[in-house]
Amino acid sequence: MHGILYKKVLAVMLAFMALFLTSCGEKQEERSKLIMVTNATFPPYEFYQGERIVGIDADMVREIARRNNYELVIEDMAFDSVIAAVQTGKGDVAASGITVTEDRKKQIDFTTSYVKADQVIIVREDSDVTGPENMKGKRIGVQHGTTGDMYVAANIQEPERFQDGALAVASLVTGKIDAVVLDSAPAEEHVARNAGIRILPVALVSEEYALAISKSRPELLAMFNKTMAEMKADGTMDEIWARYLDKDGKPLAVPAVDTEEKGLWGRMVASFEVNFVKDNRWSYLVNGFLITIEISFCAVLMGLCIGFLVAVVRSAHDQTGRYKVLNFLCHIYLTVVRGTPVVVQLLIIYFVIFGSVDVSKVLVAIVAFGVNSGAYVAEIIRSGIMAVDGGQMEAGRSLGLSYGTTMRSVILPQAFKNVLPALGNEFIVLLKETSVCGYIALQDLTKGGDIIRSQTYDAFLPLIVVALIYLVVVVCLSQLLKKLENSLKKNER
Amino acid sequence: MNAENILEVRNLVKEFGDHRVIDGVSVGVTKGEVVFLLGPSGAGKSTVMRCMNFLETPTGGEVLFHGEPVNRSESGLNHYRAKVGMVFQHFNLFANLTILDNITLAPMKCGLMSRTEAETQALHLLHRIGLRDKARAYPSQLSGGQKQRVAIVRALAMNPEVLLFDEPTSALDPEMVGEVENLMRELARDGMTMLVVSHDTDFAMELADRIVFLADGKVVVDAPPSVIAASDNSRIRDFFSLR
Repeated sequence: MHGILYKKVLAVMLAFMALFLTSCGEKQEERSKLIMVTNATFPPYEFYQGERIVGIDADMVREIARRNNYELVIEDMAFDSVIAAVQTGKGDVAASGITVTEDRKKQIDFTTSYVKADQVIIVREDSDVTGPENMKGKRIGVQHGTTGDMYVAANIQEPERFQDGALAVASLVTGKIDAVVLDSAPAEEHVARNAGIRILPVALVSEEYALAISKSRPELLAMFNKTMAEMKADGTMDEIWARYLDKDGKPLAVPAVDTEEKGLWGRMVASFEVNFVKDNRWSYLVNGFLITIEISFCAVLMGLCIGFLVAVVRSAHDQTGRYKVLNFLCHIYLTVVRGTPVVVQLLIIYFVIFGSVDVSKVLVAIVAFGVNSGAYVAEIIRSGIMAVDGGQMEAGRSLGLSYGTTMRSVILPQAFKNVLPALGNEFIVLLKETSVCGYIALQDLTKGGDIIRSQTYDAFLPLIVVALIYLVVVVCLSQLLKKLENSLKKNER
Repeated sequence: MNAENILEVRNLVKEFGDHRVIDGVSVGVTKGEVVFLLGPSGAGKSTVMRCMNFLETPTGGEVLFHGEPVNRSESGLNHYRAKVGMVFQHFNLFANLTILDNITLAPMKCGLMSRTEAETQALHLLHRIGLRDKARAYPSQLSGGQKQRVAIVRALAMNPEVLLFDEPTSALDPEMVGEVENLMRELARDGMTMLVVSHDTDFAMELADRIVFLADGKVVVDAPPSVIAASDNSRIRDFFSLR
């Protein structure tokens, strides 16, 4: 009987969800870990080499951790999240080529500075821009949240803000913008790897970098300052520098810009090899893909459970007038969740709700997307319930069946069949929405593509391949849903 | 009214907003009686019937079952409806269940019978109407006449004391009306207490013990067919096509 079948399906789904949730939460051990937060798209200070994050900042903090008996853990996130991360305790120290500014000093404490750097201007070879005096009115790109961003906004005009420097440079090379303002060391790296751009000899402004530590950890600040002084004195700092920069401060071991003319196919093959085969970069996509699927699957289950309960409460209230308080709570939930963007909800759940609790980021993402999806699923299911012919409920009641029994045995099974296409649509949307979980430094499929792009400076192939993977998953999902729909319809014709 | 009425409404009033559809109607049915509610469209016949099993909530008046007001609590209504069955104009068979499950659902869920008992009774009832081979079919696979006969049998499965019929043949093609009316004749012959809202005046004149004629929300006449046939009320004569 249909009632029993879908009760079984519901039980299986709940069991799966419980299983996944327990496996998603990581066991939190004793902390002798030092967590460094950074935006690892900033060579030579922090960047990916295979699975590892290396660079001047990374190596320096790794050494500081080692000397003080800590195990270093590096978390990669958006640059404009690193300071918030230190403030909320998600990270112990932020090392990300952070410039010392008065505003930032209000939020966190800085160690002694460890390098002087310039903000420089990158332009194309044939550009007529010579300095800040003739930049007004041109399209200027910066990395979001950096001092370059602030300087341009305050002194020239509103710039175009990019998630990382490589994206800004890519836009410059393809002619979408006219200039990029970036820190000098990564600027050198970008220019070395891309033909057709150069750095203007005049720097915009000189700055100092330092590490950022929470104001409530003075002992940690003291530890860092002490160890950094030691490392300067015994030459370790110079040694770390020399791994990445030569005596003139230019980046080392830069691959020669490929000027050989290849045919289109030859270029595609070479591009493919660089992006995916070299250094096993494909593993970013594979691991990211597994994370994306895991989050989507669990969030879908959670969304179904929440949505189902909310829909039933709302329908019961509309039809029988009961559950006034529960109905009101459901109204609030629906209004708030549907009225705010899922990215904002994700960030709130990570930085605010789970702010001082150490939880797995995968769990945070599942909760955020599950709660978000639940609101839409609730309204979808409720519309399915309302679409069932009123005579069905009347027949059930006039036989002496209670409201609840009639819902369970007659209305809900029909409601589900009604809304299967809409539910399937919601889940496809959910799968693609999870692509924003890189905001909390979760390495999903989209972020995997980002990492490859930041290493290879090639925007085209990583993006296309990531899009294709999403597309394949969505197509498979659609086929599965169609099969489900057909098997349910088969019974009725 | 008659103290032996199994089911009756007294001074029933029903308003939809400002519109008073039923304006003081009193109708009852005794054990084994077949009463037809007839009248022009909009007279309120279906509304009277739907107030009787509280699919509509009466604005005023009483509904009495065995002389006592019906217990209108959630469980009270469920118990009451188990004893007062209803057959709908549009059949309202449960679309997601097989014919067999349609019939066994209520007896099982209301705790009247076990699954085996319910299924045995259901198959017996289906056999009686010649549709035993449709037990595993779904409602969408049946014709209108078949669906309505299954709907009647579904209501019978609860062993009700009274059966309400709300325009049972109005949605059927003419050739299927006969099979449904035959079943209703059988039930009447077997002594089922029936209240029927219908447009079929010939059928009413043939089967009814009493005919209640409603117009403008009021009872115009409540009498056996023989009395109706001899009436000199022109409206009644027109309605029943009496020469």
